[in-house]
Amino acid sequence: MEAYLSFAKGPLFRLSLAVLILGLARIFLLDIFAAWQAWRRAGDKTIPWKLVISRGLEWLFPVKRIFNNRPLYSVFSILFHIGLLVVPIFLYAHVRLWENALGFGWPTLPYEVAYWLTVSTIVFAVLLLLGRLLSPRSSFLSRKQDYLWPLLLLVPFVTGFICAHTAVAPATYQFFMLVHILAAELIFILIPFSKIAHCVLMPLSQMICTLAWKFPPETDDAVCTTLNKKGAPV
Amino acid sequence: MKTRPITPEERQRAFKPTKKPEVVEKQKLDVRYHVEDYDVTNRPRRFLEAFAAILKHSNYQMALDHFIRMSAKCSRCATTCQVYQATGDPKDIPCYRSELLMGVYRRYFTMGGVLRGHIGDDDYLTDDKIMEMAESFWNCTACRRCSLECPSGIDHGLITHLGRYILSEIGISPRALVVSTREQLEGATGNTSAIPVPALADTLEFLQDDMLEEKGVVIKFPIDVEGVEYAFFPAVSDFLMEAETLMGVAAVFTATGDSWTIGTGYYDGINYGLFYSDRILERVVKKIDAETRRLKANKVLIGECGHASRSAKYFLPAYCGGKDAYPVINIMEYTHRAWKEGRLKFDPDVITEKVSYHDPCNIARQRWIIDQPRDLLKAICRNYIEMTPSGEDNICCGGGGGTVSIDEIRPYRTTVGGKLKADQIREAGCKILVAPCANCKKQLRELVEDQGIDCEVVGLHDLLYKAIIFDESLKVKSPDENKEESQ
Ligand code: SF4
Ligand code: SF4
Repeated sequence: MEAYLSFAKGPLFRLSLAVLILGLARIFLLDIFAAWQAWRRAGDKTIPWKLVISRGLEWLFPVKRIFNNRPLYSVFSILFHIGLLVVPIFLYAHVRLWENALGFGWPTLPYEVAYWLTVSTIVFAVLLLLGRLLSPRSSFLSRKQDYLWPLLLLVPFVTGFICAHTAVAPATYQFFMLVHILAAELIFILIPFSKIAHCVLMPLSQMICTLAWKFPPETDDAVCTTLNKKGAPV
Repeated sequence: MKTRPITPEERQRAFKPTKKPEVVEKQKLDVRYHVEDYDVTNRPRRFLEAFAAILKHSNYQMALDHFIRMSAKCSRCATTCQVYQATGDPKDIPCYRSELLMGVYRRYFTMGGVLRGHIGDDDYLTDDKIMEMAESFWNCTACRRCSLECPSGIDHGLITHLGRYILSEIGISPRALVVSTREQLEGATGNTSAIPVPALADTLEFLQDDMLEEKGVVIKFPIDVEGVEYAFFPAVSDFLMEAETLMGVAAVFTATGDSWTIGTGYYDGINYGLFYSDRILERVVKKIDAETRRLKANKVLIGECGHASRSAKYFLPAYCGGKDAYPVINIMEYTHRAWKEGRLKFDPDVITEKVSYHDPCNIARQRWIIDQPRDLLKAICRNYIEMTPSGEDNICCGGGGGTVSIDEIRPYRTTVGGKLKADQIREAGCKILVAPCANCKKQLRELVEDQGIDCEVVGLHDLLYKAIIFDESLKVKSPDENKEESQ
């Protein structure tokens, strides 16, 4: 068990972290590159920055529109995201881990706060899952990954909670710790290839939409040529 | 704002078949709008070819890649959509609608999808799927209200726009739009309403006489005057149906004294390309550019019409020279500015009824024109009320995205698409509804008629015409007055 644990904490952790960072960097840069290319091709190169930024901020700090639709679900989602982001990054034990992997650390969460944030994340993940299952609209739209993600995200939170806040036998502790770490690593590896990629792409959405409406000139001719429709009547 | 789903009777009315079974059979297309005969063979293959060609020469791929990675399937958009609210059909949820096309994209144009296709489901894009898209993308009015509520920032209006464009390349587009566009681009009259120049001149002369009589001022529609500041392009249907709006515009220009003209080479602001084909959009925009050039005008002025304004404002720079393209302004912007500068005077007491304002999606959604018409209305109406939501969050009239021009789907538009708007108008209780858009006006008039709402739908300049006060020096003296003066 010891050996597994240290393997999971060491090489495997570094590997999954590398996949996460490189994977996210890849899609982020791909998006930026596509945006730059679109801008270069566009006939009209002006971008309404004020609109793009204010609409972008509306969703990065979602207060303005949150009560318009599915208010309960939306509030759950926000609270869930807070725990989801804060706990893995600022938990005392994690910061030590980050320090090991990255060579530098940062301030950590007080024990009490970490406790309640973990609980709230677990509760809100379950509520979100229920919200998806019980809303006919949501379940109609949902794909497999939409159900699996909350479940998968629950694993490290539940196991982490057990390890940190309950008195279990050392062997059990080690088992849960291993599951905890492996689940987190699986999550890291999957993020760049799933909808969770929104964690880096979201700030770009408004700019992408704006640029998508910036059409390149002379496409009538180009499309006609490609489709062999030159001179065809309307 | 929310509305109840339609009743079974309303459903029957809205979804009554509009076509003979033979036609449906022959065209292999069971949709409510009429379509010209087209090649029904190999539709999936041709759809994909068109899709590929369009992706190659556009910026859509960037957006599709982004959207398929982002989509959270949270269903927040569902209850924003006026269509979904009315039908309650999950297939009308914006995210589902967009997924129709995004699924095709994922399957045929991304690596993962192509690989998966090799393993199994190779017939993902079937004739049925094409039919579903043909129906769904024309149920949507491309109003883009749902996009405001999507945390992922998915622009369903863009997807609808692209879906319709691809469908049009395989021959599936509403006949009403295609026929009008054909006349505009290839017909003798060169405009969507097929109004020949002599008829146009007659109409304008007639209106000038009317205005002289009503206002005692010589108000002209300048025709083919070169070197003016503004070349004017209203929705051409205004010449037939919105005389009052045009009179208001002419009155405003008479009062300010700025130079403007209507060119007989081209006098149509309508651009159905925005609704079904970027290729058409480009061709029509170029006609505006060419006529403005011919008239040696400095700016393009678009009349009271949402989609005409948007297609000129956003796509003239795209297709005709970027920052060197002619500046485009909407008539409400012009009038508002002149009024702010103190060059226009209005009587604040002429309009006493309860008045409200409907934001056309195409000029309000991107926060382009929201306050100007309201400022003007508050200056001339004693009893102005606001509908909520409004401005960038406005509710679509239900005839957006070109659907208003498809007459055979009127029952659908006024029972399903316009239901939420009808509720909103009823709740506001206004007697006059100002809708500065040729499309919105037509749809809203049909809507209040079919829904039995007592409300008159007018343009902004219709009211301004009533309220405008001319300088005494512009007044034509009647023979009696002349006599008095000489005595
Ligand atoms: S709001 Fe956006 S992410 Fe959510 S279901 Fe609608 S389109 Fe999908
Ligand atoms: S664009 Fe408008 S009509 Fe279309 S799905 Fe969105 S809200 Fe509904």
